[in-house]
Amino acid sequence: MADIKALEHPTLKVPYELLNKKFRSAQKTIDREISKLQGAGGELEVCLQRPQVTIGEVTKALDNMVEKLKLLKRKADESITEELDTARMIKRRVDHLKEAEHLQDHTRPLWQKKRLDRMLVEYFLRAGYYNTALKLAQHSDIEDLTNIDLFMTSKAIEESLINHETAPCLNWCYENKSKLRKLRSSLEFKLRQQEFIEMIRSNCRIDAVRHARKYFSNLSEDCHMSEVQRVMGLLAFSPDTQISQYKELLDPERWTELVSQFRYENFKLHQLNNASVFTVTLQAGLSALKTPYCYKIEGNSKNAECPVCSRNLNKLGEHLPYAHCANSKLICHISGQALNEHNPPMMLPNGYVYGCNALEEMAIQNEGKVMCPRSREAFHIEKCEKVFVM
Amino acid sequence: MDSCLTVEREIEKVLSKFGGLHDHGVDTLDTYITTLENLKKELNEASPDSEVQVTQSMVLNQTGHRILEAAGRMGQEHKDLHSTVSKVGKMIDRNFVSEFSAVFTESSFENEQAQELLNEIVCEHFLRQGKLEIAEALNKEANLNLDPMQMEPFLELHRILGALKRRTLQPALSWTAANRDKLEMQGSCLEFKLHRLQFIELVSQGPESQSQILQYARNFARFADRHSRDIQVLMGSLLYIRQGIENSPYAFLLDPINWEEICDVFTRDACALMGMSVESPLSVSIRAGCKALPPLLNIRQVMQQRQVSGVWTSKDELPVEIDLGAEHRYHSIFACPILRQQSTEHNPPVRLICGHVISRDALHKLASGNKVKCPYCPVEQNPDDAKVVVF
Repeated sequence: MADIKALEHPTLKVPYELLNKKFRSAQKTIDREISKLQGAGGELEVCLQRPQVTIGEVTKALDNMVEKLKLLKRKADESITEELDTARMIKRRVDHLKEAEHLQDHTRPLWQKKRLDRMLVEYFLRAGYYNTALKLAQHSDIEDLTNIDLFMTSKAIEESLINHETAPCLNWCYENKSKLRKLRSSLEFKLRQQEFIEMIRSNCRIDAVRHARKYFSNLSEDCHMSEVQRVMGLLAFSPDTQISQYKELLDPERWTELVSQFRYENFKLHQLNNASVFTVTLQAGLSALKTPYCYKIEGNSKNAECPVCSRNLNKLGEHLPYAHCANSKLICHISGQALNEHNPPMMLPNGYVYGCNALEEMAIQNEGKVMCPRSREAFHIEKCEKVFVM
Repeated sequence: MDSCLTVEREIEKVLSKFGGLHDHGVDTLDTYITTLENLKKELNEASPDSEVQVTQSMVLNQTGHRILEAAGRMGQEHKDLHSTVSKVGKMIDRNFVSEFSAVFTESSFENEQAQELLNEIVCEHFLRQGKLEIAEALNKEANLNLDPMQMEPFLELHRILGALKRRTLQPALSWTAANRDKLEMQGSCLEFKLHRLQFIELVSQGPESQSQILQYARNFARFADRHSRDIQVLMGSLLYIRQGIENSPYAFLLDPINWEEICDVFTRDACALMGMSVESPLSVSIRAGCKALPPLLNIRQVMQQRQVSGVWTSKDELPVEIDLGAEHRYHSIFACPILRQQSTEHNPPVRLICGHVISRDALHKLASGNKVKCPYCPVEQNPDDAKVVVF
């Protein structure tokens, strides 16, 4: 079960972060409604304290209070239901992971296939292949088990950034304000800066100055100061300036940079690693399988069943370390079965070693003769000698 | 597995506490809404202009206070659940590994070429499963420009396999006919097995199709030398065609396992013909990765404590031996039991005359003059008698 411990952190942590966020916003909503209710309660009290107050006046105050109470009820109901839904999602994932413990031989392949599909969905989402990710998730019925929602929100924001819109991303910054501050994120500043640049580009300089006054004056801590100065310098130049420092600022490529910065900070916010679980696992797997024989050019040391010998994975694994092998691990070149006490290794007179089982089978079919599949020489099986490997 | 259980315990707590707060809170608010509405009704029995009586005013005041108190309490109760929520996060962090950058070398997978390779591998993985739709979506989004010609063989295999699963033999038969020579080279008995199934299918239809059956039997002529025994059995079944072979000694021919077997045989032989592995290499690698990561993460911890950086720094080999099990062995690896090193071309394994295998370097080290004693048994011998072996 060590693999679950090693691999499934994001499966649980991302929905947990969501639960945490839901909790905060629920608390905020409930507090707000309570304070409104308190206001209404206060009014009722004041109203009752007035001398000779009429029933009509009190009824009005009462109505107000009932209305606030109903509102509180509705909001509390909604928020807590949302929290419960998110908690149930975590529960579902835990349940799925728990299944791994009781896998039988016929259920294991299916669970492992689901795991690979989950990894792939996550990998697609990270790479921005949203359509593929959605299709795969629907196909394998794992939408609940992957963090699709999180990435779908980011997809919308990324698209807006590509269309040179800042509003959705700024909104996102606002929603995650406290966390971004903890991460010392510069994203919001970068967005405001970009807005300023766009104003310069369209030659709305007055607006640009107003914009700068509004956002740069309170935003800019020490670290942003030089950036602000540099951007303000733009005011002095025309949008088609050739001075490299300013030309750089006006480069539309900056939007793409914003997209990647946003993506990066979104990962950090949800405690996702920079590398996807899929690539990390693949690397570890390739390395653990990699032998010098997978890369030998001469001879037929390659094995079609070996993943590292397959064309593309072979290239991909080129720079990874080999598996460490302090003990011999021998297989029969004919049958692929392990060589051990049940299938002892036998040496043909030409020095090639095969499993006893495969040789005997061949001898039965061939009147006691065996043929070495690598040298194409034939020998009588009685000429084979035992080999002991410690 | 404890790790899942701990998190589950915490999440159960969250569910029950929030559930309780939800039910209880909404109920309380509901009761107060009714109370207020009742009070209002009572008040409105008098005319709206009349004065509120002292008792009424007191009741209203008290109720108001109670409501505010209850609402405040609810807010507080919700706030108190924060510790329950954050406990879940702590448990997740404590029981699952959140950071594995130390066992990952970005450089080898991050560049554009590797990215493209990776996407191609994934695409092929889906094609193998016949998930054309997903493969095409990826092809488009990742700009792979996969050649449709490259995709076709996978799809064809998948179509044939699908037909076999539905017990339709025709597509497989035409495929084997088209690739007959190559299959023969491999020593494949796929084509015979397909004809055999088709024959059984005809026989099971009963005596009406007898002439057709006899006609079909001619197909077996080609296989006479390799499968004579099987053919005799098939022909023997014709004796019982009138009473139905399900009630004959040949009933085993109808066993559905034959159909399962043919799918396996087809997959194995077709993959071998195309030089592909039977299982998707991606699935195998990931499975190996899932086994390899935990020990790698463990060794990372040890290495960090001893201030050795990164698991991947030793460029040539992983720092630990990872046992992937016999199913994941694809190459014979001989590690010299004396030198604890893998054999190489310059240091191949040699067999001593007593049968024990050590590496040639070890042999030279052990030898003195023209004598060497086997390290595992008492046999003394001439080192020149040792023979290089190939596993």
